[in-house]
Amino acid sequence: MRLLSELESIQASTGALTDEALKAVAERRGIPLYQLQGLRSFYPVFRETAGAAHRIQICRDGPCRLHGQAKAKALAEALDDDSRIDVEYVSCLGQCDCAPAVAIDDKHYGTLPQASDIDVLLDRPNALERPAQPLAAPLPTDPYPTQTQHYTTSREWLARPAEQVIEALEASGLQGLGGAAFPTARKWSFTRAAEGGPRSVICNADESEPGTFKDRLLLEQAPHLIIEGMLMGAAVINADTGIIYLRHEYETARQHIETALEQARAQGVLGDNARGPGLAFDIELFISPGGYILGEETALLEALEDRRGEPRHKPPFPVTAGLHGGPTLINNVETLAAVTTILARGAQWWRDQGVGDYAGLKYFSVSGDVEHPQVVCLPWGSPVTQAIAACGGMRADRDLLAFSPGGASTPFLPASAADTPMAFETLREAGSGLGTGALFVVGTGRNLADVVITQARFFRNESCGKCVPCRSGSTKGVAMAYDAVNKGGRDISQPLSELHDTLMRTSICGLGQVALLPIVDALKTFPDDPSLKALQKDNA
Amino acid sequence: MSDVTLTIDGRRVTVPEGTTIWDAAQTLGIDIPVLCHDPRLDPVGVCRVCAVDVGERTLPAACVRAVSPDMEVRTDTQEIMAHRRVLTELLLADQPAVSQREQTTGDDKLYALAREVKVTDIPWPDQSERQPRGQDASSPVIAVDHQACIMCDRCVRACDDIQHNDVITRTGKGYSARIAFDLDVPMGESSCVSCGECVAVCPTGALTHQSLATTDAG
Repeated sequence: MRLLSELESIQASTGALTDEALKAVAERRGIPLYQLQGLRSFYPVFRETAGAAHRIQICRDGPCRLHGQAKAKALAEALDDDSRIDVEYVSCLGQCDCAPAVAIDDKHYGTLPQASDIDVLLDRPNALERPAQPLAAPLPTDPYPTQTQHYTTSREWLARPAEQVIEALEASGLQGLGGAAFPTARKWSFTRAAEGGPRSVICNADESEPGTFKDRLLLEQAPHLIIEGMLMGAAVINADTGIIYLRHEYETARQHIETALEQARAQGVLGDNARGPGLAFDIELFISPGGYILGEETALLEALEDRRGEPRHKPPFPVTAGLHGGPTLINNVETLAAVTTILARGAQWWRDQGVGDYAGLKYFSVSGDVEHPQVVCLPWGSPVTQAIAACGGMRADRDLLAFSPGGASTPFLPASAADTPMAFETLREAGSGLGTGALFVVGTGRNLADVVITQARFFRNESCGKCVPCRSGSTKGVAMAYDAVNKGGRDISQPLSELHDTLMRTSICGLGQVALLPIVDALKTFPDDPSLKALQKDNA
Repeated sequence: MSDVTLTIDGRRVTVPEGTTIWDAAQTLGIDIPVLCHDPRLDPVGVCRVCAVDVGERTLPAACVRAVSPDMEVRTDTQEIMAHRRVLTELLLADQPAVSQREQTTGDDKLYALAREVKVTDIPWPDQSERQPRGQDASSPVIAVDHQACIMCDRCVRACDDIQHNDVITRTGKGYSARIAFDLDVPMGESSCVSCGECVAVCPTGALTHQSLATTDAG
């Protein structure tokens, strides 16, 4: 058993990783105590002491802060003296459609309740309110009308040469949908060509950037598409090991994946002859012990090797030297699901789904000041306005002020850019990025400075602390922004921009490289915004 | 193993494959500044002051990145100097008023770097007031000043990889990360055998020998 999995199971059964428990683990495994302390203190799921009988976690990030700062404060204050309950603020829970989102006892997720409802909820946490998700199985990209047809695509494609799979992906134009946009066919072909072992396929199901929750829908409603995509990846790169790296908070997805894996094993889709006679492949479901940084692919690998999830230096890249030093194919949930759709329907069908020259269908997580925050599935190249319209338009009392199209790391654009087609290149040219397709909509009357500082604060909170620019620079950059807002007295636009340059160029991974971007970019894009003026005013 | 020829600051050099840029630069007499790197230890590339320009989107750490054929490395551009100065300032901003190392043995590497990159004033907020990192005087031999620690990881590697005493780790995450002993107990209560290797490799005033006056004997 993995060390981290053992620690998670002790945490889950006893509510804590006490010194005594860790000493026993150290003795049993013959490992030094310092190693266990390094892990216990790094992953947010682990605790030194069990705390109160119940725990309520309130999301403090982007869309949840926008909707619920006052409500969250009221609930926290009302429960302050309640010895049964620990209340804590946490990073994005991936439930942005429920904003303001809460978690009860690490298992139940929904919209922040009134303090008066708490007694009922502690008895029946399933009663926690959740908005309906209009998209349900079968999803628009699911080629199978019924469950009996699942895995018929791989049965057909496993009989063909691997090169044909790569050609089909190439023809489809599929790019990595976790935000990096790396051409999928190239990644598969590089990993296939890489020599040595062990060889693994990993599904990165650790989406954790504020505003991002589209993978949750896919994992809950179509886990078979992801399993089938992984199987095809395994066949192409000759891997016998698959791992789904799932974020801790996706409890429903976890249950659905487990069921789907059992079904796939029962059908022989996974197992000793999964890729062909004598060619085994199976998938392990690994639950992350928490933290946004684990979505960074090399930090994820560190966690899978039982270390602190601190990103590695690249090169080497995982395609040549990934998990335990072997060639490793790491793809996002939506990418792997799209592989199955493309192989089932054909590359041409996929291309035909997009607007004009854009290829395919894309799931967007839409949050913020829209009437019904939700995941929508739209043709690639649809304008931002269409995603907003698909969510019932703007909230009644607000017009569009700004939007961040792809997660906290993609800068906010003004309302005048809302006709931009949602695609990697168009949004980059517009001065932002498609990222993970997490559209965070901010309406008029909102405090934009607070919104962008909250985005940077998320990165500061989630910094692993490994390298100096990110650890120290994100902390000081955010402190400077808060000081400017709260105390005034100094125009920080120039020093903050200088600091951002150092973070962008010298940080080891993408987190540090973008940590201060939300603020620095907003100061340039929204020079006249009244809330942002506070950061630029020299009012000493 | 074959040799690799590359250019560093306009000068050609041939080194064995697998050599780091930092080591290759040394053979030319080019001294790229480092805080976290010590030739006796495996490089970790976390302080970033040895970041160099190889024409990529970001600047890799010279102590970690291996050379490649025809690589063109710049170690001394205006941009690199500016980042080096900012990184040094970021670390200096939270240092205690007095460096115990500078006071005693006079070889605090952070202060030496500050002189080299000509830090004059520090424009970044001092976080030590908001999040003080604390001291640990529990060991009769070694004084721990977390406020002076720059998380270079040298003591962790020295304790675990050179001495195999397996006592020190990084604990926590983000800005609150610091070094810890065993399950984060005071150094004096830990399995530390006071070998002194951590003091020897520490570049700042974070790990120094207790002065006689502060021990029981004084």
